[in-house]
Amino acid sequence: MTFAERMLRIDRRIIFLVIGLCTLVPLLFPVGLPIKISSEVRGVYDYIEGLPEGSVFLLSLDFDPASKPELYPQAISILRHAFKKNLRVVAMTLWVSGTGLADQILTQTAKEAGKENGKDYVFLGWSPGGSAVILNMGQDLYNAFPADYGGKATKGLPVLAGVQNLRDVTYAVSLGAGNPGVEAWYVFGKDKYKFELGGGCTGVIAPGLYPLLRSGQINGLIGGLRGAAEYETLIGQKGKAVAGMDAQSATHLAIIVLVAICNIFYFSLRRQQRRQDGMGS
Amino acid sequence: MELSFSVILGAWIATGLTLFILSFLYEDNPLFKLAEHLYVGVSLGYTIVKTYDTVVMTLIVRPILDKGEWSLLIPVGIGMLMLTRYVPKAAWLSRYAFAFIVGVGAGLAIPRTISSFILKQIEDTVRPLLGIAPGGGVTFDYSLLNPASHLNGIIILIGVVSVLFYFFFSVEHSGPGKTVARAGILFLMISFGAAFGYTVMARMSLLIGRLTDLIEFSDASYGRPTLWLVLLTVATLIILSRRGSTHPPNQ
Repeated sequence: MTFAERMLRIDRRIIFLVIGLCTLVPLLFPVGLPIKISSEVRGVYDYIEGLPEGSVFLLSLDFDPASKPELYPQAISILRHAFKKNLRVVAMTLWVSGTGLADQILTQTAKEAGKENGKDYVFLGWSPGGSAVILNMGQDLYNAFPADYGGKATKGLPVLAGVQNLRDVTYAVSLGAGNPGVEAWYVFGKDKYKFELGGGCTGVIAPGLYPLLRSGQINGLIGGLRGAAEYETLIGQKGKAVAGMDAQSATHLAIIVLVAICNIFYFSLRRQQRRQDGMGS
Repeated sequence: MELSFSVILGAWIATGLTLFILSFLYEDNPLFKLAEHLYVGVSLGYTIVKTYDTVVMTLIVRPILDKGEWSLLIPVGIGMLMLTRYVPKAAWLSRYAFAFIVGVGAGLAIPRTISSFILKQIEDTVRPLLGIAPGGGVTFDYSLLNPASHLNGIIILIGVVSVLFYFFFSVEHSGPGKTVARAGILFLMISFGAAFGYTVMARMSLLIGRLTDLIEFSDASYGRPTLWLVLLTVATLIILSRRGSTHPPNQ
């Protein structure tokens, strides 16, 4: 068996090991590669940056722990930014399995920023119905969420003063890992109730959301761990996403090298076989 | 910093289950199956408890008992009709519930989806060539003097048209049509490549997330669960593979 043949039949566990090492080593010994800010991430940042104090900012954390590595850093960065700008934060989730995680993220960032529950922020929790919840909130927010996550009545909360429905929301961001997520927020929310919408998502669904971004249906998109790292850089608070970017770059490089090497071996083997076939005939 | 017992226990469980799941990369084994079943069970159990608490107790039982909102019994009744699927003689009643849900769902979704995903996207595709005139109506505003100004829009227009033509099977793809269809294939390949690239990035991000946690839990304040559980997992895999090799499969 030639070297090329051996490489093409390589045990897949060796490839797993290479990828594992390429991820682990940069995490243990970070290099700090530069992070370039893309226009789509800047779209969300600039809009929040331009909001006056006390504006109503709705953050829908539409994901569960399975998407935590990508969307958790995004949520933390956006909340830090919103609290720094003294916006009134209204958080919720359309995913029942993500309720506990969403509550933990909001509580942690609010505590860090010294914000008070009910006055500066509220976590509405989850309500059944998926996309129908958005429509219900568009009609009457208090009908969709009569009580917040802690069971306190939402009517009369200082953070919701002057807010009756989604038309009173200044800016909304959905951090989605699937459906319902950013698309549902556009179709049943922004398109009907006319508020500005931004998005954040996992890498898997990002290509599907770019048409919405290009057409201006959403004003910005934070895609995957890379998007989170860009946002962390923008707010000047580097966290888990920036720490992971060296590993991300190293694994991508490893995959590109593996794909290139395997193609070279494949074509050289094919040429060799053709030459042998030619000699045989 | 002194950590509470629950945090330390959580770290040990998270580390153990992560390593058990990752052990599948070596081979399918009982540790992976244990973690997989636990994951499915716990997430389902969490969903059931949360749904019961939020829907049944908060949105139905308490408003009825505390505030006397008896009108809530109407949607509850419609919902209960679905359960008649389990009683063959009364299963026909469930059709009323399904008819209501399908009707409302389709009525809400169809116009909004057409507006958001079809009309808006068509509008965006032809925007480089056409514009809205000040007094209303459509006008041709493509600048022939500066084609580069709308380069992205033109590429997208060519892409959309050629891909649509590729999926148009009523005419034979020959002559100039073949060139357009081939351009469509090219655009599809680029789109699949971009989607695959993003998918790889997403999967790597998940691996980075897990490894970050494993590094964090290798700290002495947690009792170094990563170190001990890696040893346990590797030892178990060695024992399992040795035991497997002594019993060759039946022919």
